[in-house]
Amino acid sequence: MGTKVEEEWKKGSAELLMLSLLEDQPRHGYEIGKLIEVRSGGTLHFHVASLYPLLYRLEKRGWIQGRWVEKPNQRRRRYYRLTAEGQRVLALQRKKWQEFAGAVGRIAGVQHA
Amino acid sequence: MPEWNLAIRKHLAGVNLRPEREAEIIEELSDHLQQRYEEFRARGADDDEALRELMAEIDWRSFVPELQISEKTPPDTVPEGAATSGHFFEDLWKDLRYALRMLRKSPGFTAVAVLTLALGIGANTAVFTVVDSLILNPLPVEKISTLAALNTTQAKKTAQSGDLQAISYANLKDIRERTHAFRSLAGHSYPMAVTMTDKQQPHRVFAEIVTANYFETLGLHPYLGRFFLPSEDTTPGAAPVAVLGYTAWQSRFGGDPNILERTIRLNETPFTIIGVGPKGFKGVYAVFGPDLWIPSTMAEQVLPTKQRNALSDRALPLFTGIGRLAPSVTLAHAQTEMKIAGAALEKEDPNANEGKVLTVTPLIEAAYGPERQGVVFGGFLLMTIVGFVLLIACSNVANLLLARASVRRQEIAVRMALGAGRRRLIRQLLTESVLLGLFSGVLGFGFAYGGCRFLESLRPAEYAQNLADLRLNTPVFVFAFAVAILTGFIFGIVPALRSSRVSVSEVLKEETRSAGSSRRRVSLANTLLAGQVAVSLVLLVVASLFLRSIEREYVIDPGFQTKHLALFMLYPGQAGYDRVRTEQFYKQVLDRIGQVPGVASVSWSSNLPLWGRKETGLTIEGQEARKKSEAISVVVNTVDLNYFSTMGIPLVEGRDFSENDRDVSTPAAIINDTMAAKYWPNQDPLGKRFQLPQGKSFLQVVGVAKTTNYQTLGEPPQACVYLPLRQNYADSMILYLRSERDPSAVLSSVQEEIHSLDPGLPLEDIRTGTKVIDQALWWSKMGVGLLGVFGFLALGLASVGLYGIMAYSVNQRRREIGVRMALGADQGNVSLLVLRQGMTVVGSGVVAGMVLSLLLGRVLSRFLYGVSGSDPLSLGGASFALLAVAFVACYLPARSASRVDPLVALREA
Repeated sequence: MGTKVEEEWKKGSAELLMLSLLEDQPRHGYEIGKLIEVRSGGTLHFHVASLYPLLYRLEKRGWIQGRWVEKPNQRRRRYYRLTAEGQRVLALQRKKWQEFAGAVGRIAGVQHA
Repeated sequence: MPEWNLAIRKHLAGVNLRPEREAEIIEELSDHLQQRYEEFRARGADDDEALRELMAEIDWRSFVPELQISEKTPPDTVPEGAATSGHFFEDLWKDLRYALRMLRKSPGFTAVAVLTLALGIGANTAVFTVVDSLILNPLPVEKISTLAALNTTQAKKTAQSGDLQAISYANLKDIRERTHAFRSLAGHSYPMAVTMTDKQQPHRVFAEIVTANYFETLGLHPYLGRFFLPSEDTTPGAAPVAVLGYTAWQSRFGGDPNILERTIRLNETPFTIIGVGPKGFKGVYAVFGPDLWIPSTMAEQVLPTKQRNALSDRALPLFTGIGRLAPSVTLAHAQTEMKIAGAALEKEDPNANEGKVLTVTPLIEAAYGPERQGVVFGGFLLMTIVGFVLLIACSNVANLLLARASVRRQEIAVRMALGAGRRRLIRQLLTESVLLGLFSGVLGFGFAYGGCRFLESLRPAEYAQNLADLRLNTPVFVFAFAVAILTGFIFGIVPALRSSRVSVSEVLKEETRSAGSSRRRVSLANTLLAGQVAVSLVLLVVASLFLRSIEREYVIDPGFQTKHLALFMLYPGQAGYDRVRTEQFYKQVLDRIGQVPGVASVSWSSNLPLWGRKETGLTIEGQEARKKSEAISVVVNTVDLNYFSTMGIPLVEGRDFSENDRDVSTPAAIINDTMAAKYWPNQDPLGKRFQLPQGKSFLQVVGVAKTTNYQTLGEPPQACVYLPLRQNYADSMILYLRSERDPSAVLSSVQEEIHSLDPGLPLEDIRTGTKVIDQALWWSKMGVGLLGVFGFLALGLASVGLYGIMAYSVNQRRREIGVRMALGADQGNVSLLVLRQGMTVVGSGVVAGMVLSLLLGRVLSRFLYGVSGSDPLSLGGASFALLAVAFVACYLPARSASRVDPLVALREA
């Protein structure tokens, strides 16, 4: 678990992270959590109690949609995909995040990644 | 394998989920945990280690609250920016349901707001109905913009030169043959009183004589049967057919579906009903319309003897032309063509047409004649006034909403905390206010309906069915609907902007009562209130100005007595009497009625009081002949013996008519002193001679009577000529009688006497002198009545608003008042404090209202009679009334403030 500050940053960016991961293809919850962990090099980590409430919230808002999928030799799993509405929100949030990160960067003197 | 289900179920215990949903979550989460567990195992951990590591990384503390928020997140609490996308109607539906719930939760607020707004919307809709029915769309004809009225006017510019006069039948026919500007040109007379006998019952009805193409030109279709055929408009007297008006068909014939082919008698000539006119059509005069129409070739059968040759006499104007402009012809073009046509007619027959010009007017303007300006002004004034009444109602409801907003701060803050954006919130709040507006609109439409029916019931009963109806039709409905929605926005926008501007964390922490923001709220409310007071004052001043003006008009001395006067219109000529019998009848009536107890004096006259008929083209002996364009016009009245004593008009010189003024003796006339002074200045007018335009011989002045009002109350003096009935036969006259006491006491016995002479004569136009004055002032009275009603409505609304805001502010300041009282302020001090606060607002409103009223008074002064626009009594009276009502509205909260118990107030705080 990270520091208090990191927790806050994580919360702030969680929606954007999840929406981005679903942009290309539908994924199930474990896969999303794993991808965040792997792609962030272990910096960001969502556990079961923090990941799912967020997913459900996004689903309620109509930005993503979950569907149970059964595959051979496997338990059925719930796959989430991005809705049209979600795509719009993702674009908007990306833009805002860029602006935000840019602004922070300019003020705090951090090189923009 | 660990039992994930149980562990998860334990954590879900606090969340109230549907069983299916819970099962889904458990399934999904346990799958996740299983995979993670397997991940740890794959890295080499044993069962226990893997389980320990897995459990260590999960922080369940925030799980339940987060999940609760997720599960309860309504889909519509979308952050700003994403709100308007795609879900407009879905959101609207949700907002509507939410708004309904909120309104139902506070029925008191809803009722007051809806009632307040409904009064405003109702007043606006009612006035709009009047304006729409009388000014905007007075005539239900096809494409009124391409219809024009054709009249003659005097070429020379004089005071009366703008007056539209009729055209003779022969002239109209010539114009019709020559015109290219008009695709079709029809003609109609003004509505004329005729006697209609149906099943032996005589009635006075109004008929218009029209050319056969009249209805076709207007683009109308019959409700029943047909209109006139061209063949029915060629041979004089050959087509005794009539078209009934829809209203007359309903009221006089009970809407009988078998009315066609029925025979009625008009002035003793049988006519066959061939059709019923369209619903709502009452001729082309906006205000007064006929009961039926007959073709022009039947003119001779219904016109009074004097106008019998109307079809052939070019100098006898009877028809107003109505033209339908040919495609792509403008009004200006038509006017030019008519100017040329008029000049040609003048050249062909200078005797009849000299000095006259043909004038084309848009039909919608001609529908009123000269009164149009006044009517339009009145409509405009009333619309403005009710607009202000509605603004007052809106600002009252805005104040109510602001007061409510402070109660709803918590609710709004919670919604924002849950992710609702400001724009979304404003939309929700506006939905609420628009919904309020719509409810008020429905009630307001009901008020307007009642109001219009009430206004219609005030029409004089004798003419009610000939007067314009107020039509609550689609445009009116659209108007009310639009006003309702607009109203919702107007009163809702400021409170919505205000209440959505909350700081979530502050509000959630603070109490409901916050001193800082509520003071700002009160100052906005105060501004609204001062505005209301100012507007109410202006309305009251306007109402009282017009009230004082009409009061002055009532005491105008018309120059004849009205208190003991009664009138009966009789049309013996229309009952088939010949001249001998009519003259005999006139004498008999005078003898018989003179004997009736309570009747002091009785006479005949051809004119109704204040309905003087004028003739133009008088020749005075010994003075050089005037050009037709400078013709003298005078009021002409044919009267019988004792007219002057019956009317109480003093003779200033000479004698009254006597038995000796007969057909065979020298033609005599009595003139008024205005005429004497104008045409025989500094001379003795007695014995002087003059000739009337239609007259065959010179008339000798035998007497001079005092000038009275002939056409309108308080008019400038007009020249008038009285002719003796016994030398100037007329087949219909008005019986005038002077009673000893209240004239209504003798009305029935006089009716019986006349009925006993001939039961076949209709006797419907019976009036007393005071009623004549009443009718002359009817329009003004209606206007003033409406102004008064709206003025008081504004005053009432403003004082309710004042009371509400003062009571609210006292409630807000309870703690402060408690402190003051604890520190030694007594009840008097506290009352004074509150009163001063309220009356300061009222005072500034009154000052602003005064300034506005004085400015407005200047504009209004030309519509006032005998009162100046800055009449101190009106200004003072209205201010006093307003201050008194405002004082009460402030005093009640002040008193309740003084009763604050400091102990209770401080403990509450």
